[in-house]
Amino acid sequence: MTLREFLSDRMGRIALQLICAGLAALFLFAVGTQPGILVILFLVLFLVFAAAQIYDFCCQCSRLRELEAIWDGLDQKYLFAECVPPPKGVYERRLFDLTRRAGRAMTGAVSDAEASQREYREYVERWVHEIKAPITAARLICRGLDGDTRRKLTAELAQIEANIERALFYARAENPEQDCLFRQVNLGEIAFQAIENHRSLLIQSGVRVETENLNDTVYTDEKWAVFILGQLLQNAARYRGDEPVVTLSAKPLGKQVRFIIQDNGIGIPAHELPRVFDRGFTGSNGRSRGGSTGMGLYLCKKLASFMDLGLHIVSREGEGTAVTLTFPARENLTKP
Amino acid sequence: MARIMIIEDDPDIREELTLLLENEGYTPLSIEEFTDVPGQAAREHPDLILLDIGLPGKDGFSLCAALRKAISVPVIFVTSRDAGVDEVRALSLGGDDYITKPYSVPVLLARIKAVLRRTGGGSEAADVLEACGLCLTLTKGVVSANGKTAELTRNELQILACLMAHAGKIVSRGDLIDTLWDNQIYIDDNTLSVNMTRLRAKLAELGLPDAVKTRRGMGYQL
Repeated sequence: MTLREFLSDRMGRIALQLICAGLAALFLFAVGTQPGILVILFLVLFLVFAAAQIYDFCCQCSRLRELEAIWDGLDQKYLFAECVPPPKGVYERRLFDLTRRAGRAMTGAVSDAEASQREYREYVERWVHEIKAPITAARLICRGLDGDTRRKLTAELAQIEANIERALFYARAENPEQDCLFRQVNLGEIAFQAIENHRSLLIQSGVRVETENLNDTVYTDEKWAVFILGQLLQNAARYRGDEPVVTLSAKPLGKQVRFIIQDNGIGIPAHELPRVFDRGFTGSNGRSRGGSTGMGLYLCKKLASFMDLGLHIVSREGEGTAVTLTFPARENLTKP
Repeated sequence: MARIMIIEDDPDIREELTLLLENEGYTPLSIEEFTDVPGQAAREHPDLILLDIGLPGKDGFSLCAALRKAISVPVIFVTSRDAGVDEVRALSLGGDDYITKPYSVPVLLARIKAVLRRTGGGSEAADVLEACGLCLTLTKGVVSANGKTAELTRNELQILACLMAHAGKIVSRGDLIDTLWDNQIYIDDNTLSVNMTRLRAKLAELGLPDAVKTRRGMGYQL
């Protein structure tokens, strides 16, 4: 608070004092008080009044500083009113009481919302686990069918699985720390699992997948890495060009490892490139080919940033897209 | 043949898994009563156990610990729970592998084979295939006929192995591609054609130019 703000706040009171002083001066003058005495009288009055105002100003400033320090030190800002020493004045205390009650109502609402969000997440996870049993059974039953029907049904099942998996990871991305488990994983194993998860889509789309030098070991969460790679493979299959080829290759870079997923698909227009990680962004490709939810890359980015995994896209329209995943060196990880 | 015990409470999955393992040449033993599972396992003496986690009564984790006490047998967890902590817990309780549902069938079979090989319970797959006058050595990647031999690339080797395993039957292009993808060769239709042409050229050098017949609209036949 500046002195100017303080004065403008007190403007009414100061004006009232001045008017009173003026009226008193007129009265004293009228009853014949000497002007010299009047001057001394008003000088003293002014000094006392000014000192009182400055004292008030200093008190308010230090109180505000104290409150701000408490605010800065708070983790949950909405608990502010609970952590502040109660004020002395009756009026201020009443105001404070109201604020505190509002804060408590808010805390209640927040914890209710958190609880229902947690319950929903748990329900989604349980549901996902339940739905997996019939899918597993269906997959095994498919095994007994002849070639083409089996392939078509397996592809449909794989599509269902991919969608379910996305829902599961969406629920998980809200509280990633609950599920993250870092350990050493071979890049080849990540690639193998992701390709296997989406093989029906890849084979159906006529995509050839080439793997080069995937012998490096990275320190990451295997499931999440498989999920992210899976999203990229699905994109490569969905936005393919003629004779689609996806090349997976790795390049150690100091202690980091760069994992590059290169396709020769239709590419992403330059002006859309900065927005591909936005939630719900489908772009012109997504609209023209359909089936895009705008969630895949958004989830990838969210999970990747939690895992300290670099995620960069380079693309040229009509030529293809290259995604680089940069796995951090173990000692650079900010999470355990 | 290896005896594999299936501990799974979903009857559909249990039944299909039994069929699948039978077709693959294993002897499946499925459990339908979930009381005293360790005792049943001790009586049957399987070479491998496939264990679900969400079971009626005791869950898979405590069951695994009990099984470990009762008999020494490799255990593969097969479950729809895919949280990292579950996997760590399963492996720390003595599980040999952890597969999450819904698994793809080739992956399941490969993991079973790997665990059996590691624990010495499984028989080694045949290294030499013979059919239609051809003799294929898988580990060397060499095919021989009429006293002559030719070296094959990885792709050609897998194509020929698949055809020889189904000698006399028609193998569709789709099935061939599936088999190749099972073996981590991720090719497309055109590449298959190219590889097939090369394979035929090599077989022709061995004096068998028409060994692989094309059956229009159906596939290939050895």
